[in-house]
Amino acid sequence: MSFIAAQILNGIATGMLYALMGLGLSLVTGVLNIPNFAHGALFAVGAYLLATVAIFLGNFWLALLIAPIGVALLGLVIEYAGIRRLYAAGHDYQLLFTFGLALILSESIILIWGPIGSSYLPPQILRGGLDLGFTMYPKYRLFVMAAAGLLVFAAWLFLEKTRYGAIMRAGIENKEMVSLLGIDIQWLFTVAFALGAYLAGIAGALIAPIRGLSPTMGVDMLGIAFVVVALGGLGNLLGAIVAGLIIGVAQALVAAYWTEASTVVIYAVMAAVLLVRPQGLFGIR
Amino acid sequence: MKRALVFILLAIFLLPLAVRPAIASEIWIFAIFGLGLNLLLGYTGLLSFGQSTFFGSAAYVAGFLLKHYGISTLLALATGVGVGAASAAVVGYLCVQRSGLYFIMLTFALNQLFYFTAYQWTSVTGGEDGMPGVPRPALLGIDFSSALVYYAFVSALFLISLFLMKRIVESPLGKILQAIRENEVRAEAVGYDVPRFKLLAFVIGGAFSGLAGVLYAMLFGIVPLEAISFVFSGNVVFATLIGGSGSLYGPVIGSFVFIWLSESMSTVWARWPLLLGVAFVIVVMFFRGGVVEVFTRLRKWQFSRQKT
Repeated sequence: MSFIAAQILNGIATGMLYALMGLGLSLVTGVLNIPNFAHGALFAVGAYLLATVAIFLGNFWLALLIAPIGVALLGLVIEYAGIRRLYAAGHDYQLLFTFGLALILSESIILIWGPIGSSYLPPQILRGGLDLGFTMYPKYRLFVMAAAGLLVFAAWLFLEKTRYGAIMRAGIENKEMVSLLGIDIQWLFTVAFALGAYLAGIAGALIAPIRGLSPTMGVDMLGIAFVVVALGGLGNLLGAIVAGLIIGVAQALVAAYWTEASTVVIYAVMAAVLLVRPQGLFGIR
Repeated sequence: MKRALVFILLAIFLLPLAVRPAIASEIWIFAIFGLGLNLLLGYTGLLSFGQSTFFGSAAYVAGFLLKHYGISTLLALATGVGVGAASAAVVGYLCVQRSGLYFIMLTFALNQLFYFTAYQWTSVTGGEDGMPGVPRPALLGIDFSSALVYYAFVSALFLISLFLMKRIVESPLGKILQAIRENEVRAEAVGYDVPRFKLLAFVIGGAFSGLAGVLYAMLFGIVPLEAISFVFSGNVVFATLIGGSGSLYGPVIGSFVFIWLSESMSTVWARWPLLLGVAFVIVVMFFRGGVVEVFTRLRKWQFSRQKT
C-alpha cells in the first residue's frame, strides 16, 4: 500500500514538471502561433546549465536561480534574431526553423558536455528521505513538488491577476484585437517566448537531480509537452496542470507493475482521451 | 512532364555511376516516402510530423515476416503497403479531428507512441539495436542479392509510384484535396466531407510510406530504430520542403539533395546534425520555397536578362 502511495507521490512530482513544460509550450504556441520544436531542447539546456553552474559556483540554490534565467535569455535571442521574421511564413517553415534550432542546441550539448549522460546529486540538505508516516519519501522530490507548485501558483497569479497576464491571455484569444487596442504585439511575442523558455529551463533544472542528464532528454520531454498541450488546450493553465498530473500519475503507476510500458502509457492515455474527447480535456477548438 | 521524365530517367541511369548503389537506392526510396508526405503537406495542406510511424511500422511488420516466415518479396511489398495504410488510418482518425498546431503536435505525439513501443518491445524489434537479418528474396527468378539489380527494382517501383501519385493529384480526388488546402470552410460548404477526405489523404500517404519502409528494410537488411523515430519523420518533411512542397517533383529533388548531403556529411563528422540544423535555419531565412523556387527565380532572372 505504502508502495503505491509513494508511486502516486512520484507521479505528482513529475506530473507537476510536465505541467510546467506544457504550460510554457502552450504560452509560446498560443501567443506566437508557431509549432515550437525547440521547447524540449531548451529544457535540456536548463538541466545542463544547472549542473554546470552548480558545480562551478558550488551552490545549488544560486544555480537554480541562474540557469532558467540563462535559458530565458537564450529564448530572448532566438525570438529576436530568428522567430520574429517568421510570423508571416507558414507553419512548415516555422517548424523547419525551430527543429533546426533544436538540432543545433542538442548537438551543441553533445559537443560541450559529451554524448554520455551523467547524474547530478541534489544538495546535501535535500538528500535522503523524510518519514511521511505511511512511507519514507525522498526529500528532493518533495522539494520539487513544492517548487513546481509555487511556480504554477506564480504563473496563475501572473496570468489571472496582473495586467500583463491579461494582455497575454488576450493575445492567445485574438491578436488583431490586442494590437488594435494599441498594445505592442511584438513586445508581447518576445516576452511570451522568453517566459516559455524560462518555464522549460526551470523544469529542466528541477528534473536534473532526479533523472540525471542525457542529450536525448530534450526530445523525450518535447513529446510529453505536446501531450500536455493537446490534452489541456492552448494557454489553459488548469488544463496543463490536470493533463500533467494525469499522465505523471499514470506513468508512475504503470512503471510500478510494467516498467517497459511506462513511457508508452503517456501517449496511450492521450490517444484514449482524444478518442472520447477529440477537443481535449478542456478544449473548445 | 515529358522533360521532367527525361530528367528522372537520366538521373536513374547516371546516379549509380556517381554514388554507391545502396545510396542511389536510398534516394529513390526516400523519394517514394516524400511523395506520400507531399500528398498531405503540399496538396492537402496538412503538416504531418509523424510519417515515420507508417514507414517504420511497415518496415518492422514486413521485415519480421520476411525474416521469420520467409514470405515472398511481392507479399512483403503488399504487407508494407497494407500496414502503412492501416496505421495511417488509425493515426489519421485521431489527428484529422484537430487542425493547425494541434494537428502537428498530435502527429508527433502519436509517432512517439509507436517509437517507444518499438523501443521497448525488444523481443520483436530488437529495441535500440534494430531488427537485423531482413532477407531480400528473389522475385520471378530475378536475384536481388546484387546491389545494382535491387537498385533497378527500386527505380522501377519509384517510377510506378510517381506515375500513380501524378494520377492521384490530377484526379478529381486530388482537386478536392487542393480545394481543402486552399479553403477548408468553402470545401465543407460545397458539400465535401472534409475530415473524411483528409483521412483518405492520410491513408494514401501512409500506403506510399509503407512501400518505402519495406524497400528500406530490404535494402539495408535491417530495420533500425530510427526508421520509426521522429528523426525520419523530420527528414522526410525537410527533404520535401528543401525540394519544394508546391510541386509533384519537389520531394524527388529534395530527397536527392537531402540523402546525398546527409550521406556524404555523416561520414565526415559524427556531429553533422549540427550542420543540418544550421542548414535548416539558413533555408528558412533565405530560401523559402526550396530548390524548385531557387530554380524558378534563376530562370526568371535569365529571361529578364535575355529580354534586355
